[in-house]
Formats: sequence, structure tokens, C-alpha cells
Amino acid sequence: MKITGYRVENYTMQMDRPIADSNYPSGDDLMPSSLLWIETDEGVSGIAPGGGDVERFFHLLEGQDPREVVGLWRRMVDYVHKGGLVAVGGPISSIDIALWDLKAKLAEEPLWQTFGALEGRTKAYASGIGYCLSDEDLFVFYRRMAERGVDGGKLKIGLDMTADLRRIGIMRDALSVASPRPQLMIDVNEYWSPKQAVRFMHEIEKHYDITWIEEPARRWDYEGLSQVSRQIKAAVATAENLKSIGEVYPLIHNQAVDIINVSTATSGFTGCRQVAHLAYAYELPVSMMNCQANYMAHLAAALPNHLSMEVVDPGREHCLDFDNHIEEGFIVLGDKPGLGIEVNEQKLRALQENPPVRKSNFPFARREGAGAYVKGVEDGEVPWK
Amino acid sequence: MKITRMESTLYAFDLDRRMGDANSPSGRIRGSGCVVELHTDEGLVGIGLGGVGVRPQMQGMVEQLLQGQDPRRVQGLWKRMVDKHFKGGHDGLINDAIATLDMALWDLKAKANDEPLWKTLGGSKQPIHCYASDLGIPLSDDELAAWFKRMASECGFRGGKLKVGLDQDADIRRLELMERAFKQTAEAPMLLIDANEYWAPKQAIRKVAEMEERFDLTWVEEPARRWDYLGLRRIKDAVRTAVCAGENLDTLGDFLPYLQHRAADVIQVSYGMGGISCALQIADAAFGYELPITLGGSPGSIHAHLATVMPNFMTMEVIDPVAPDGVFTSDVRIEDGWAIPGDKPGLGIEIDREALVKQAVEKVPPGAGPSPFGRRPGAGLYEVLPTEAERAEAAKGVAQ
Repeated sequence: MKITGYRVENYTMQMDRPIADSNYPSGDDLMPSSLLWIETDEGVSGIAPGGGDVERFFHLLEGQDPREVVGLWRRMVDYVHKGGLVAVGGPISSIDIALWDLKAKLAEEPLWQTFGALEGRTKAYASGIGYCLSDEDLFVFYRRMAERGVDGGKLKIGLDMTADLRRIGIMRDALSVASPRPQLMIDVNEYWSPKQAVRFMHEIEKHYDITWIEEPARRWDYEGLSQVSRQIKAAVATAENLKSIGEVYPLIHNQAVDIINVSTATSGFTGCRQVAHLAYAYELPVSMMNCQANYMAHLAAALPNHLSMEVVDPGREHCLDFDNHIEEGFIVLGDKPGLGIEVNEQKLRALQENPPVRKSNFPFARREGAGAYVKGVEDGEVPWK
Repeated sequence: MKITRMESTLYAFDLDRRMGDANSPSGRIRGSGCVVELHTDEGLVGIGLGGVGVRPQMQGMVEQLLQGQDPRRVQGLWKRMVDKHFKGGHDGLINDAIATLDMALWDLKAKANDEPLWKTLGGSKQPIHCYASDLGIPLSDDELAAWFKRMASECGFRGGKLKVGLDQDADIRRLELMERAFKQTAEAPMLLIDANEYWAPKQAIRKVAEMEERFDLTWVEEPARRWDYLGLRRIKDAVRTAVCAGENLDTLGDFLPYLQHRAADVIQVSYGMGGISCALQIADAAFGYELPITLGGSPGSIHAHLATVMPNFMTMEVIDPVAPDGVFTSDVRIEDGWAIPGDKPGLGIEIDREALVKQAVEKVPPGAGPSPFGRRPGAGLYEVLPTEAERAEAAKGVAQ
């Protein structure tokens, strides 16, 4: 069993609805996207959403057995030692995911079983990433999730206290069919300074019981995050923008935050699992970030300290068939080998041949005023004002 | 694939040298073990080695938690065993039971894929750095020198670990014997010492400082009590060599004070800590701190499988290049001072049925446990030199 080749296909993903946060409240429904295949001499391929400069790493993989994925991860990470992971984490992450897909396919089992999970399921929470959604659309989104048993939701906030408070209430009401006391989470995507976060949370906590606030200060500011955590009742969650276990280390060692957001950003499944284990030593829960086709749920299902996984469901899998669904508030993974993702090549080709005319605004730039003063939404920026 | 039942067989064996540390200078000449076999409905059998004192507990866990389950879902089953023992804690004897069963589950998972465990874990076949560990306080100077020389010349080791703690003059003399032995294979041999928690922090600082006048030590192991993270930290800040600790901790949570207070420079990990599942978690947590980890002595050096996937792995302890147990073979072999994991499915352990029957015992014979004499008087206070009687006993060698 040897790796023989790879293929990257780029396309523009057109989602069924736009997504937005405090940095770019008008949002966008276009996102540059890629798919990676890692091919073997036995005809089986590993698939991963993502791509990037795979060529740079392929000589480390060629001729190797993909089942040795942790060793190959190490090779890639050591290879970029000098420059560090920040600039090149993308391709390593995608490669690692494709290798795990291969490893599970070769064992003819779903990846969650390869990771040793008892069941292919993990708790979900609804995340609209919907600063751009009208109050009505916001309600529809959370209610749709609640009808599938999802009893927690996360709302993008940060620019308008009156509207934010109103919309937290809308989310709560929509989710109330799943639970009399839904889990309410809010996310400011690093738009506030620590003391802004403390002041604004003081106001929000007068009205609501908040489970966690996400990224209330900058990703690396462990002192600031810790300050926020000490002065509010809600848990502080962060780390989705960090790129390696080493970057997460100061947050954990200084006991700065209460929940660690984990994702593929820390170099794929392999690096993500390391971060979760480090958090576990501190009895910190981890929460898996959203992804296309919810494939990270395979690892989440096996982590002993996994809290719940973010589900956005903006309709972005137009060229993918996948083997999981939301039921009774859980992401339920199927039994197809590997990630359970199949690429519909015909649809992919169609997306590539008819790209949207407009350019995507992803990734969102940081909004004026961030960490300094709140630049409120302007007329026409969002439908709710 | 489903787990159907468990069998366990207790056995005893003769050691090829008298073994002991600061807590038992007269040492022991017998060892004991337990072969645990987890059967499945597909005929595959997973092997765990350990759990000598917890066979009833293991049996109970298999019946209540594992029977009818798919062993490939080992992380979830591990969590099940840990959560089941929430109230009383999953350390101590319960830890021994979980660790042994977890090992057997991983063996099954790899066998189900018809591949060696290192590959199931995602590792690559590679030579694993290791060192020779004497457990040799009862040995005379000549015996000790001969053993280290043999480890260097026959097995290629480039470093060793000496049990120390009772007699500073003897320890310094014997350190020199160890260093000389490994000069055959290395210009600057790796010299390790291990006090097995016999010292107080300030004793450790005095003794190590004196040794460091003459030797460049890579680490001092367990120079204070396992839970005394402040004492370990104090030693770490006072000596040049690394403080290595953790061997007697059981759970990931036990390591929290070590990490939070940066109490040790090298973290000891073994499958005896909550099994392979938990050992991997500990190594990842230590990796977050950029702390090297060392794997302890293991039957048939099976820790070599784990070493292939631990990004911060440093070196592995080898007490016997070939397991003296006689009831199993391992396909991890020691070659030119490195451990080479084999290609047999699972852990690569094969049971010699005939030998197992012959060596089976009802209960562990007196003196055949790993620490048959408990903690030595004077520990943490003052050194109690080996008595005449202890010296006489030690001088008998392995003669019955």
C-alpha cells in the first residue's frame, strides 16, 4: 500500500445562504474552496475538503504507506520547522485528513471507529453565523435545528447591544421547543477588547444565562481572556484561530479560558487530537468547530472531553454526498468507510465551469474599531436594522 | 466483531539476575505476571500483560462493560471503564485492571486490521532509542560492571540507568563502572540515575550536586515523592541534570500538577497508566509543554509501538533485552542499541502454551512482586545502608 499521487480541484463554493460575523456583518455566500485526493497503488483514494500547496509536501508522502499517518504528520511538521506552521498549516491539515480517510477506508470501517469511538455520534449545537440574517430568518434557522433536537445555539454579536439582546431572545425562543432552557452561546470574533467584553457581558448576563462567550478578546491574549473569564459568569471559549498545540499552550497553562475550540486548523485530525488531550489534562472541555459535511464529528465522537460540535448547515455541500445527519440533537455518523464523503465529480465540474461572476469576500477582514470602539452597523449593511 | 469472554493466567518465573532498588537492596530473584486473553466471536484473541492483583476486577469489567462490544472502539470502551469507576477513582488497583484490558483491546484492534499495532496507531516503523536499566542495587560491583558491559557489547546500548540512593560513595563508584562500560559504544554515554523516591528534596540536591562534580548526568529519576511537585520543582531548579518523574502516577489528571508547576523536565509514561489510550493522552499533554517523554520498561519492550507515534518521545527503558518470563515472545527486538518493532499483527506477542501451563501459579509466590519489601525505612529522612543480612542475601545471586 503506497501513496502514488494526488489531485487538487479548486472551485467557488456557493452556499444556500450568506454567513456573517461582527467583522463583516453584511456577509457573503461565496467561498473559495478546494478538494484534495491522495491516491494509492491499490486504487483507493483519500479525500479531504481543502488543498493548498500540497506539492510542497508530496515528496514526503510519495511511496509511503498512508496508514502511517501520524508518522507522516510528524514528517510534514518537522519539514516546515523553520518557518513554522502558521503559514503552511492548510495543506498539512488537508493531507492529514485525507490520510486518515484512507486509513479508515483500508480498514473498511468508518473513521470514528478507527479513532476508537464507541458510537458514531456527537452532540451538536446550532450556529447561524448569521449576523446578516433578518430576525425572521434567524428564527427559522434555529427552529429548524431545534426540530431536530438541537438544544443549544450560538449567535454572532458585538456591534449593537439592543439588537444583540433581541436576537439572543429570538434564538432562545426558537430553541425552546428542544429544551426549556436551551444552551445560549455568543461569539464576537475578537471584535472587543477585554474590558469591553466585561462591560457588555455584564449587560447581557442581566438578561440571559449564557453558556459561553467565544473569542471575547484576541486569540493570543491569554491575560485578557483570563481577565474576562474572571469577571463574568459565562465560560470563555477560544482557540479556533490558533495553528498548533504550541500556540494553545499559553491559554491552557495560564488557565486563561474555560473551553477550547478545536478544529482542523491545528494541522488536521492528528494535531487536533493533541490539543484535545492537552485540554483533557486540565479537565477542559473542547468544542469542535464547524466544517463542510461535519466530517470532524468523526474525531469529536472519540474525544473523552468533547462538549458539542458546531453545526452551521449553510448548504455548502453541492458537490459532496455525505453519510451523516442530525438526529435528537446529535450528529449521527453513518457506517460508510472513511469520512463517508463522496465527491460528485459531475457537479464539481459544473461548479468549476460556471464560476460566479462576483468575487468572494472571504476571509473577512477585521472591522474598523475592533478592540477600540464599536463601529455600529450602517444603513443597508444588515436586514435587521 | 464482539468480545465474548476473558481468560487470565497467573505465572511466575526466575530472573536472570537479582533485582532491586533503594527500597530493596537484597533484591528478588523471582518475577510474576499475568496473561490476559480477550476472546472475540471471530476467533481473534487480544493479549494484555498485567493485572496480577486484579483478576476478579478485570473479570467483572469484561462481563459488565466489554462483553458484546466491538474491541475496535477501544477509546470509547476505555472511557466506559474509567467512567464506571468514577466515585472510587480509576487509580490504584482499578487502574491496573483498566490498563491491562485496554492493552488487550488495542491488540485486538490491530489484529482486526491484520497489521502491527504501531501501524494501527499511525506510526512508521523506525528504530526506537532506548537504554539499559540495571535494577541492580543487589549486584556486586563486578556483577554490575559485567552486566553493563554485556549490554554495551552484545546489545549495543549507549547509555544506562543506575539505581542509587542508599550509599553515596558506592553510587559514585558504580556510576563510574557504568560510564566505563558504555564508553565501548559511545563517546559520551547517556548516564541516568534513579532514586525511587528514597530521598527528600534537599537530600537529592546535595547528592546530585556531588555526583555532578564528576559526571554529566542526563536525568535523575524520582528524586522526591511522586506527588511532591513543589519538591521536584525545587530539585529541578537546583541541579543541572533533568528531573524525570511520573512513573508511579496512574491517570492523566495525576499529571496536572507536574504540568501546571513544570515540576519535571522529562515525563515518564507507560501503558500501566490507564492503558495505551491514556498513555497517548499523557504524551500529547506533555507535547503541549514541549516536555520530552520516556517510556518505562515493558514486557517484551512493547512500548516501542507507542514510541512511534509520540512526537516528543525521547528514550525507552529496557530492563531485559529478551523477556525472562519464558511464557511469551515479542517481535520487538533490540538491535545495535535500538528497539525495532516487528511486523506481526497486534502487539506481536505470542504465548508459549506449554511454558504457560508449566509456569502457571495459583497466586504470586512471596517475593515475586515488583516491590516485595515495600518502602525502605529512612526514606525521605536518612539513608539506611544495606544490613549484613541484606548483603548476605544479595550475595547469593540467583541461586535458590
